Amino acid sequence: MANNSIELNVRMEVEKVRSKRKDWGLKWYVFLIPSFLGILLFMVYPIFESLRLSFYQSNGTVEHYIGLANFKSVLTSNSFWNAVWNTFFIGIFQIIITIPLGFIFASIINSTKRGQNFFKVLYFLPNVTSIVAAAMIFAFVLHPEMGIVNYVLHAIGLPTPGWLSDPSTSKWAVIILAVWHWVGFVIIICLANLQAIPSEMYEAAKIDGASGLQQWFFITIPNMAGTFAFLLITGWIGALQRFNEVYVLGGPNGSPARSIQTMGAFIYERGFTGFEFGIASAATYIMFILILVFTFINLKVSKMKI
Amino acid sequence: MKHVRKGISLSLILILAVMAMLTGCSSSDTSGKADGKWAGKKIKVQMIGDFKDKTATDPITGKKVKGIDVLKEEFEKQHPGATVDFILMPWEGYTEKTQAMITSNEADVYQMPGLADFAPQGVLEPLQPYIDKDKEMDLDKFIDSQVDGWKVLGKDDDKLQIYGLPFLGDARFIAYDKKLFDDWGVDYLSDHPTMKEVAEKAKQMTGKNPKTGKQNYGIWFRGDWSSAFTLIDLAEGQNGKWGEGFAWKDVKFNFNSPEMKKGLDWLLDMKNYAPKGLVSNQGQEKWLTKDNNVAIMMNQGPGDTIKPTYAQGLEDRIGIAQEFKNKDGKGGLFAGSPLAIAKSSKNKDLAWEWIKFATDEFAQKYVFEEVGAIPAIKAAETWKSTKEMPLMQPVFEAMSSPWTPRYPWGSSQPRFTLTSEVEAALTGKRTAQQALDKAQRESTAWVKNRK
Repeated sequence: MANNSIELNVRMEVEKVRSKRKDWGLKWYVFLIPSFLGILLFMVYPIFESLRLSFYQSNGTVEHYIGLANFKSVLTSNSFWNAVWNTFFIGIFQIIITIPLGFIFASIINSTKRGQNFFKVLYFLPNVTSIVAAAMIFAFVLHPEMGIVNYVLHAIGLPTPGWLSDPSTSKWAVIILAVWHWVGFVIIICLANLQAIPSEMYEAAKIDGASGLQQWFFITIPNMAGTFAFLLITGWIGALQRFNEVYVLGGPNGSPARSIQTMGAFIYERGFTGFEFGIASAATYIMFILILVFTFINLKVSKMKI
Repeated sequence: MKHVRKGISLSLILILAVMAMLTGCSSSDTSGKADGKWAGKKIKVQMIGDFKDKTATDPITGKKVKGIDVLKEEFEKQHPGATVDFILMPWEGYTEKTQAMITSNEADVYQMPGLADFAPQGVLEPLQPYIDKDKEMDLDKFIDSQVDGWKVLGKDDDKLQIYGLPFLGDARFIAYDKKLFDDWGVDYLSDHPTMKEVAEKAKQMTGKNPKTGKQNYGIWFRGDWSSAFTLIDLAEGQNGKWGEGFAWKDVKFNFNSPEMKKGLDWLLDMKNYAPKGLVSNQGQEKWLTKDNNVAIMMNQGPGDTIKPTYAQGLEDRIGIAQEFKNKDGKGGLFAGSPLAIAKSSKNKDLAWEWIKFATDEFAQKYVFEEVGAIPAIKAAETWKSTKEMPLMQPVFEAMSSPWTPRYPWGSSQPRFTLTSEVEAALTGKRTAQQALDKAQRESTAWVKNRK
């Protein structure tokens, strides 16, 4: 009898706690409403509206249905494929230069005994600089006649390129800017991983007689795989969305001669300067598919688990 | 009891959330003051450029300039009971901002350089009926060509109509540095120079300056953003033209005409007498400084020239010549800012009153003397303030003789296609003929899809 009464009491207590939890659980959803509405209005709705627009010829207010014509127009447009080429060219070189460079810098900083924080701040500074402001400064740094880069090149007897005024060098101007801006981020991420590698592994390797370089190749690099995969994927997504710096340096049509027009700039040019919202929306979806495909490939290549 | 309390607190949270949402989404009040002829009427006016809310210091001249509250005060005094509010925005991204504003019925009056793109959307009020019934509005008060330049096609129009009236003026001209001409012993440009004259003088002034020993360049033109317009003006100077038509269905391009080819060849030749970076808008950094090294600047506008010239004390050094004109005296890009009334405006009569006010002498003087923008009315030519700036006289002349109506493709894909091809020619990627043929082909294909 006594046992039954205790059991009943416990059961009632449990029920009470459960119902209390249920009530409080519901209440917290109310606090999520503002951000949920924000996501719904400013992300979900534009995504579907853009998909709808991609089937219309639209100047913003007047529109008519044209089926897949916008997609056909974009996919057969030389300017679009030129923009895809530019985006990939700049992106690939930014990644294959910045990740190894950032890793090397991070390894050097990690092995220094003094001033680690100073170097971390120093290298991270470009990353916290507005890319728009940085692009404007780079236009001066790479000025064909008054720029410091050409001044140095001239001083050491090397040819001075036209940089942003020459289609054959303008993409490299953007790559230099992109590397400079991103390398600090790569260093910080690599450093975080480097500092998480257990010191016992290095000690064991030292006992086995491994040299510093061997430790770097056989302990450090394999332990960095996850970080490299993360940097590769986030770098790719960022590279494929590139817009701000090329807009500042070359305008919406990627001057000179569309040599630095990226997919983002192509979308901007057609949507916001030409009022061709249907074309811009179709190009946006094509860009989305490209990013999706390449992110999938990157995941497979890097064997990253998500 | 506990359940009741929880219920109350939950309801309170919900009410607060709904109130916050409703506050955020509520439409603005359209009623103004209670007394006077315009009692209860209120308009919102969108303005683009260097307008300031309140009195502030001009960063170029260092002088105190009056804020736009001066206009508000005067307008509300002239229209008892009315209220005018302003939405000020910078030039940066004005097209997309205007599109967003007009889609959400944000203002009654818009300053709208992209009139030709917005009128076909059916979002603007035609102004001819207001002009016809209002004896106070005399279109002759505007500088010649300014009203014609802004005529566009509305959604259902088959001929050009007035949807906007000139508010800020603009023009394109050739500016030059008299000091460099003097140093080289070259005669100043004539008021209406030919391509040959400009080329000859540019060639003479390229090299080491005989007086200072510094490198000088004969000419500079923007090889990227506005290069299409520079080229079109060169064709107009030879009695050629960009093409014909205004509605997309009627537009026929003439981008690879012999005049265009000769114009592009001229630019390619002039590139040899210009600084290296003209295709990336570089090389002219010393222009309007005492160390200037470029003699002739093509396709310049008053906004970047007049105020900085006087602010730098270079008024005796800078000269202005007209761009290339055809046999009728017309040529060069038509530009500026007109005012238009939104179709969705609830107070269109008051909006029209604002347009009249903004295009009259009080507001136009404010625009010139305080903001440093260019007025669009003839009366400005006789103001003391413009006479104190003799450089304004050739600007007024340039404003009266551009190519009108405004190029219908001026902010559409053909403009970017032609610009990119001019750049391709200037950077040696294609010959002049190949570049123009490509621009013609792609622009024609584009316009065919718009029909």
